[in-house]
Amino acid sequence: MKKISLLAVVAALGFAAAAHAESATYAIEPSHSFATFEIGHFGTSTNRGRFNKTSGTVTLDKVAKTGTLDVTVDTTSLDTGTAAFTKHISSEEILNVAANPTAHLVATKFTFSGDKVTEIAGNLTLNGKTNPVVLKAQNYNCYNSPMIKREVCGGDFDTTIVRSQYGVSYGLNYGFPDAVHLVIQVEAVKQ
Amino acid sequence: MKPSSNKTFGAVLRAALVASCASPGLSPALAQSAAGPVTYRLDPDHTFVTFEVLHFGTSTLRGRIGPVTGEVTLDRAARTGDVRLRIPMATLSTGLRTLDARLREPDLLATVEYPEAYFVATRFQFDAAGAVKEVRGELTLRGVGEPLSLVARSFACRHDAGLDRQVCGGDFTGELKRHEFGASFGEPFVGDDVHLVVQVEAIAP
Repeated sequence: MKKISLLAVVAALGFAAAAHAESATYAIEPSHSFATFEIGHFGTSTNRGRFNKTSGTVTLDKVAKTGTLDVTVDTTSLDTGTAAFTKHISSEEILNVAANPTAHLVATKFTFSGDKVTEIAGNLTLNGKTNPVVLKAQNYNCYNSPMIKREVCGGDFDTTIVRSQYGVSYGLNYGFPDAVHLVIQVEAVKQ
Repeated sequence: MKPSSNKTFGAVLRAALVASCASPGLSPALAQSAAGPVTYRLDPDHTFVTFEVLHFGTSTLRGRIGPVTGEVTLDRAARTGDVRLRIPMATLSTGLRTLDARLREPDLLATVEYPEAYFVATRFQFDAAGAVKEVRGELTLRGVGEPLSLVARSFACRHDAGLDRQVCGGDFTGELKRHEFGASFGEPFVGDDVHLVVQVEAIAP
């Protein structure tokens, strides 16, 4: 009798968890999703460049506190505000966007604190080379968009990469830093 | 300052800036009063303003404005400075043309009526090593003047080998409330607090 009731409890708990698990798919919203890089300029100021086109998919299970992410950044959409700088960074010498027109981030490890995503760990492919990265959330939230009448989740994430690990070593010998700070705005719409 | 008087202020400021362009030696008194005031020209390749504002309490919407033009006079020995910046508002770029166009409209940045914003400051703070720590002055945006403090997150001077000139600059941040400048459309969904991130480099003569 005792055994049966224990099994019943376990089964009931399992059923409850299954019933509340809800993995949902979200599509990256390109008008609120931008990756910006920041790199020091001769120890004086910070140079920035923004990639204007990003696409991809996120899945979130708010009950199981898991998620996946698959995002593609169009590296040919680089925009620094200075045409010569944009052209140089895009060239074969640096990002070689003709040969590698996309950067790709794939993540399967989401860390939550309560309802909020705090960290996303995955692999970044840039300039044809792949390395692990951990993105830290500076902001994270979900809201119901009054315009599109759907749930939107997103936030601000950042990480620092070592560009030579991606084969991007231009100017290291002139004192341009190896560390590049990536600042990512992302919003994704529930499908 | 009320908007009615700000147009006058803007016009006076514009005239002063035009005069200072036409005559680089506009401040001879300053130039002669201290041992080493140097007037630097802003480097258009490394001088931009980025604004950041929170979207639906979720992610940060950013826009870049620039290049910013203007002059900076620094006397690092006397620990004084003077900066006059012209910020070309219509250059704003968020990465999304439709949003850029919306931000230029009259209820936001009104870039047709007010094509430039101005930052004028004479209150400089230096650290013990002579680096600029903070610059306090007035931002005129949309014809409205309000106090603005820019705090240095980094500041350095270097001898630039390529230019064979001294270059000083850094990264500065500031905070403003957009409703104070009459640009409150979209609140509260898009925040009132605007965080400014300013990259600046200036080249000695």
